[in-house]
Amino acid sequence: MKIVWGVSILSILCLTIFPYPCIASSSPEVSITISSSEEPTLSEQEIEPIDPVTTTEPRTDSRPESAIPIRFDEGPTRVAIANVPPAPLEAEEEIGTIPDPIEPVNRAFFTFNDRLYFWVLKPVASGYKAVAPEVVRVSVRNFFSHLTTPVRLVNCLFQADVKCAGIETARFFLNTAIGFAGFFDSAKTGFNLEKQDRDFGQTLGIWGMGPVFYIDLPILGPSSLRDGLGYAVDVSFDPRTYLAIYFVAVGYVNTGGWVLDKVNEASLSLGEYEDLKKAALDPYIALREAYHQHRQSKIRK
Amino acid sequence: MEVFMSLTFLIRIILSLLFILSIAVSSWAVEPMEAIKQTTNKILNIVTNPVLKPPSKTAEKEKLIREAVDERFDWEEMARRSLAAHWAKRTPEERKEFLPLFSDLLERTYMKKVEDYSGEKVLYEGETKDGDYAVVKVKIVTKQNKDILVEYRLKKEGNNWLIYDVSILGVSLVNNYRTQFNSIISQSSYENLVKRLREKVELK
Repeated sequence: MKIVWGVSILSILCLTIFPYPCIASSSPEVSITISSSEEPTLSEQEIEPIDPVTTTEPRTDSRPESAIPIRFDEGPTRVAIANVPPAPLEAEEEIGTIPDPIEPVNRAFFTFNDRLYFWVLKPVASGYKAVAPEVVRVSVRNFFSHLTTPVRLVNCLFQADVKCAGIETARFFLNTAIGFAGFFDSAKTGFNLEKQDRDFGQTLGIWGMGPVFYIDLPILGPSSLRDGLGYAVDVSFDPRTYLAIYFVAVGYVNTGGWVLDKVNEASLSLGEYEDLKKAALDPYIALREAYHQHRQSKIRK
Repeated sequence: MEVFMSLTFLIRIILSLLFILSIAVSSWAVEPMEAIKQTTNKILNIVTNPVLKPPSKTAEKEKLIREAVDERFDWEEMARRSLAAHWAKRTPEERKEFLPLFSDLLERTYMKKVEDYSGEKVLYEGETKDGDYAVVKVKIVTKQNKDILVEYRLKKEGNNWLIYDVSILGVSLVNNYRTQFNSIISQSSYENLVKRLREKVELK
């Protein structure tokens, strides 16, 4: 109950300090419970990607695949409903593919990253996994995630999401105080306050910028022009960056921390990349599309 | 006597009402979320069954999982949506050849995920229905306390709700395969796609 008050106070503070995002947000009231999403019932079936071949060729089955959002096989009321623009939340199949003008370069980096994973990262992460118990590794993950709270908080505000900002602030204080400086995610386990995954690439997307085109960055992995720019901006929000500017030694610690973070993450998700490759006919395209769709789904939220 | 008559009359009415009700109940379609729950529980029961745990029983276990999955997935709808425009160009023979290859690849991927099950929580978040189509949202909470959001897209076939797409963390399976298939077909040919699919499935 105290938490509810705490977050309410935070939201009031937010209203006074940052009036714009609070006014712009559709729900200025901060609530703890993350409500199961109620969505408009109009589904995505009307939205099929525009395909010149499908629209010109005779169909073999009853349901039309046309780009026109009308169901020919349904009654007149259906047609009337279907003419309403579809709800963006449900428009799963509407997502186009991401432009990839530099595919040959990207494929080269994909191969580089693939080898880096199998030859370096995976063996190191497996060794690390063998010595560090899962509890420790999850705590390491929590610790690094705790350090980057300012990045998420700033992006919550850029996205005019007060609820998100309130949750991130509350999480920061809770996890600092009772989560042993962020090693335990007590805010989630104890208070059901989930981490809000926000970054500047998303913010740009919410502001209306498209991904522009796909870039498979060496070492860093799948990205887009927008998300790459976003990453650079996020680094500038990272408190560690400032520390490194003032204390040269912190730079080395940061580099070490970054490597530990990457190895730690890999140790917690060993096998996921292998699964993706196993299920794919063209792993490069599978990864590219998975990245794009995952990012789009985060922006649409 | 009159009381007795009215009593039998009453019983008759009740019995006929019950009869009508039972017919009505049996013809009610299972709700989409209920359908997902049934299949999930069925598969989890197979995976956690101690009798099927030893490696010698793996084949039997996989067969049971396959049966449960086949019951709930509409492979043809999935293939049709994944091939999109290219599906219309295929002859019935080609479709017949494509379906088992495609479902085999998907089942194998799914099987791998299911067999790794180690007590993750499955939470049912809700369903959205629109006529013959529905979306069921499920949250899987891993042991590391990480949430994985899964969306099942279902289509009503007769009295049954069948899955035609699964999206994990916003990544739709059908969409992903559609792009891959389209890229392979446009760069080489449909025959090459089938060849690659076959190689993948036979590789194990």
